[in-house]
Amino acid sequence: MKNFEYARANNPADAVRLVGDRPGATFIAGGTDLLNLMKDGAQTHDRIVDVNGLALTDISHGNGFLRVGALARMADVGAHRAVREKFPVVSQALLASASPQVRNMASIGGNLLQRTRCGYFRDTGSACNKRIPGSGCPAIDGENRGHAVLGVSDHCIAAHPSDLAVSLIAVDAVVLTNGPHGERRIPFGDFHLAPGDTPERENVLTHGELIVGLELPLTPAAAKSQYLKLRDRATFEFAVVSVAAALDLRGRTVNDVRLAFGGIATKPWRSTDAEAVLRGRALDTATIDAAGRAAVHGAIPRAHNAFKIDLVQRALSRVLHELGGVR
Amino acid sequence: MTAAVEAEVGRARRRKEDARLITGRTRWTDNLTLPGMLHLAILRSPVAHARIAAVDTSAAEAMPGVLAVLTGVDLAKEQGSMGCAWPVTPDMAAPQHPAMAVDTVRYAGEAVALVVAASAYQARDALDAIDVEYADLPVVLDVTRALAADSPLVHPEFGSNRCATWVFDSAEAGTGGETAPAIADAEVVLRRRFRQQRIIPAFMEPRSVLVDPTGDQVTMWSATQVPHILRMMLAATLGLPEHKLRVIAPDVGGGFGGKLQVTPEEVLVLLAARRLGRPVKYTETRSDSMLSCHHGRDQFQDLTLAARPDGTITALEVELLADLGAYLGLLTPGIPLLGAFMFNGIYRIPAYRFTCTSVFTNKMYTDAVRGAGRPEATFGIERMMDELAAELGLDPLEVRRRNWIGHEQFPFTTVAGLTYDSGNYEAATDRATELFDYQGLRREQARRREQDDPTLLGIGVSTYTEMCGIAPSKVLGSLSFGAGGWEHAAIRMLPTGKVEVVTGSSPHGQGHETAWSQIVADRLGVPFEDVEVLHGDTQISPRGMDTYGSRSLAVGGVAVLLAADRVLDKARPVAAHLLGCAAEDLDFAAGRFTARGTENGVSIQEVTGAVFAAHDLPDGFEPNLDAQATFDPENFSFPHGTHLCAVEVDTETGAVKIRSYVCVDDVGTVVNPLIVDGQVHGGVVHGIAQALFEEASYDELGNLTTGTFADYLLPTAADLPHLVTDRTVTPATSNPLGAKGVGESGTIAATPAVVNAVVDAVRHLGVTDIEMPCTPQRVWRAIGGGA
Repeated sequence: MKNFEYARANNPADAVRLVGDRPGATFIAGGTDLLNLMKDGAQTHDRIVDVNGLALTDISHGNGFLRVGALARMADVGAHRAVREKFPVVSQALLASASPQVRNMASIGGNLLQRTRCGYFRDTGSACNKRIPGSGCPAIDGENRGHAVLGVSDHCIAAHPSDLAVSLIAVDAVVLTNGPHGERRIPFGDFHLAPGDTPERENVLTHGELIVGLELPLTPAAAKSQYLKLRDRATFEFAVVSVAAALDLRGRTVNDVRLAFGGIATKPWRSTDAEAVLRGRALDTATIDAAGRAAVHGAIPRAHNAFKIDLVQRALSRVLHELGGVR
Repeated sequence: MTAAVEAEVGRARRRKEDARLITGRTRWTDNLTLPGMLHLAILRSPVAHARIAAVDTSAAEAMPGVLAVLTGVDLAKEQGSMGCAWPVTPDMAAPQHPAMAVDTVRYAGEAVALVVAASAYQARDALDAIDVEYADLPVVLDVTRALAADSPLVHPEFGSNRCATWVFDSAEAGTGGETAPAIADAEVVLRRRFRQQRIIPAFMEPRSVLVDPTGDQVTMWSATQVPHILRMMLAATLGLPEHKLRVIAPDVGGGFGGKLQVTPEEVLVLLAARRLGRPVKYTETRSDSMLSCHHGRDQFQDLTLAARPDGTITALEVELLADLGAYLGLLTPGIPLLGAFMFNGIYRIPAYRFTCTSVFTNKMYTDAVRGAGRPEATFGIERMMDELAAELGLDPLEVRRRNWIGHEQFPFTTVAGLTYDSGNYEAATDRATELFDYQGLRREQARRREQDDPTLLGIGVSTYTEMCGIAPSKVLGSLSFGAGGWEHAAIRMLPTGKVEVVTGSSPHGQGHETAWSQIVADRLGVPFEDVEVLHGDTQISPRGMDTYGSRSLAVGGVAVLLAADRVLDKARPVAAHLLGCAAEDLDFAAGRFTARGTENGVSIQEVTGAVFAAHDLPDGFEPNLDAQATFDPENFSFPHGTHLCAVEVDTETGAVKIRSYVCVDDVGTVVNPLIVDGQVHGGVVHGIAQALFEEASYDELGNLTTGTFADYLLPTAADLPHLVTDRTVTPATSNPLGAKGVGESGTIAATPAVVNAVVDAVRHLGVTDIEMPCTPQRVWRAIGGGA
């Protein structure tokens, strides 16, 4: 592990300056991912700026939305009454993440920036286009059971690891930031980037730009939402596939629906195509199956992850049957 | 009259060790700091097989705080070869096993250089500055291809990757008939190949070793299960006089067999400390531990079971192919052979043949992990019993009933040559089926199948026994094992009436201090709180064979009991003298000698005080009540039981959920039910873990791909069912306590129960086996899902 400098920020402006000034600097909150990345050598920084002292932990109601501070801890947000009632999908995604110890440490903002679990990315002995652009992607023909089938490029097929992000894209959250160029509101669907030709760029943040909070719009669909995570053990394990669904039914007819997926894509994956299949139609098994097919349209299977295409459709089917009360 | 005292043996006491172990406020090796202490870090090979072409340590030597950088070449003359204590056959291939690779590395994780520095961080940082040039050699990883004529060789000097072939044949041994004709004549012949995957012991406390070379004796603290064996083996390996070495195992945080080893790390720290003349400590990281602590299991089992149409077994043949990894650890080649005596299980089998071929590959070496050979064997036979039941359309319990040893048939000499002294399989099975609602679950299973329920129910049975309390020395001798199996204890009566118990059995979480105190408190009639148990230090407890093989209570605890009896034998004439009666006229109860028929009495503490003062003792009495005893059992102990597992299999995702788990174990006399329940819980969970979660995997280059707990899946409480435990009590006849071992029985029993349940759930879909661990993906594939 390389030596680095530690600084503590007293206010957001301070934090932005301390990181913005130094190309090798970064923020640290819970540190649950960053420290592992630095120990493994997958990421190096010459300065870390501790933002834990900033007053960004509140969860509060606004006009038509819930606001969550970026430094609120995963455990606190997952257990928060308003989150449980108005955004069950978010609460469930959080409580299905990591372990209780990690959830007590990790911040909401940091969670959105966690790096992929791709073994090649985390092993400095391997090539990786995300870590060293242009060095190649051994996962494409290698151990790729955990990798993505959607949003992939010839340069990277690493799956995005966050459960929370999948739930947030399903409820149309907005990311609030404060950076060297002032404040920004970034719709969640615009926040993460598919790898394309630049897999090293995972989001639209500029250097020194700090996530300060999230806005979660209150909608009938969000209030009737669910997160299903399939994984190899019941806790402390990343998703093989996951589904975030929000559903607003009028009678049997789908008035509004939001569908997002984890474990199968290079970024938190919203499927408006699948939503379009359902919207305005009666919710039944045939429609649900059609939505599943739409969700995986264009998927590119590899040697060890083709099963996800089938599995995620079954997971979607289960969630929609349960949410919609369809038997 | 003496007040009625609650018997200590049988009492569910909380362990006196718990507070310090649970809070960690104790002497773990890594908690120890000595004046002038240095820190050691180890550079490990990133490749599985290579010649070491060059090592450049100059940059590391110049790093801040670094005092020494040593390579295998530097240590070649003094490091000797790590010892293997179990030469299983006269022609076994026993390769040189350097603590640090000198010219060739044979598995990823093998030590290639070490750094000693003022701080642990400086030592670790300096590793990155060591430049090693490897010239890759071809790797052999697949044990099924390792014996091919064109296979690369792990140890070319032997001309083959074969380590040994070991055969037991009941016709040759005179314990049964010939298998070949029995199989040829049989109406029912089942053949199955099962795989026992490689697992990692994953003890809680990573290994740590500290050596103080200053002074006349070298002192080593090590997180080991076996301080006594370690001392002896280090002396033999390094040519160090045994009396110049003291080994201390302070509190040790779990072992599960993984610390039943003499490790390269212990040798390297000792050599480095001696060279520098200062105390040196090494504590492994978890990643180091996963790579370089010995692994377990890893074998293919080819089984052939012959039976009559009514289910009566007529013969069993077992062919094992055991993957030993790159070197021989302390017991490596003998571990699969422990299974030789267990494949016949609890059954009357007239003919039996066992062959084990063990093979070298470019992986970490395997050795004992909880159960060590017996879980593998029990898995094999218990899976076969379910397969036989399915083949014949019989209930799996009924097939077992038709073959097991009846309770009236004990003692029973098995086809493998062991004499089971006692057991009652009927009683344990009856109790288990009652607690489990066996018939009710069978009805539910049928109903779900009829209704095409996507969630299927499966029921798995395991009626196991095991040999433990290792072991009668003469049996170990007959198996070419390098030592005996006795255990030693001493009792020291302190002048104030308190008692110190010295045990040679070295605990690492089992609760010896509590159980031994209960035994002594009962036998001597002293308060539980007045007993202190001392262990794990060759200076305090010079004789011992340590802790493994579920031997502590049934061997070590018995030695404590015998020593207590000897204290009483010594105290008796003194009590008679003080009471003015004949020794034969004394009664002893609840810590008090009384002259029979009178109220005149004297307590054991008073006798102790009188002996200490020595003012008024019988003529010629040596003023000392201390006593010692060494117990060498005449036989193993044979715990047994019936485990029943119900699983729900989600056919849409392949996920397996354990719905209920009932275990009725017979571990003989129970000293502390709380400790026994804890061992059963931990053991069963360990067995479930192998069935559903854990697997150590290497990629095609020989890299361990499960080197962290993110990849190597230990189950958590969230994955596990509530365990229903109960017991039957058939005391062992091979020791005066009547106790049988319990530390491994759960692990031995659980794995086949769970896999049998998973296979049972989907058997009607044409499935006859699912390789362990039965992950959602494997289950899903078995029933035709996924690509």
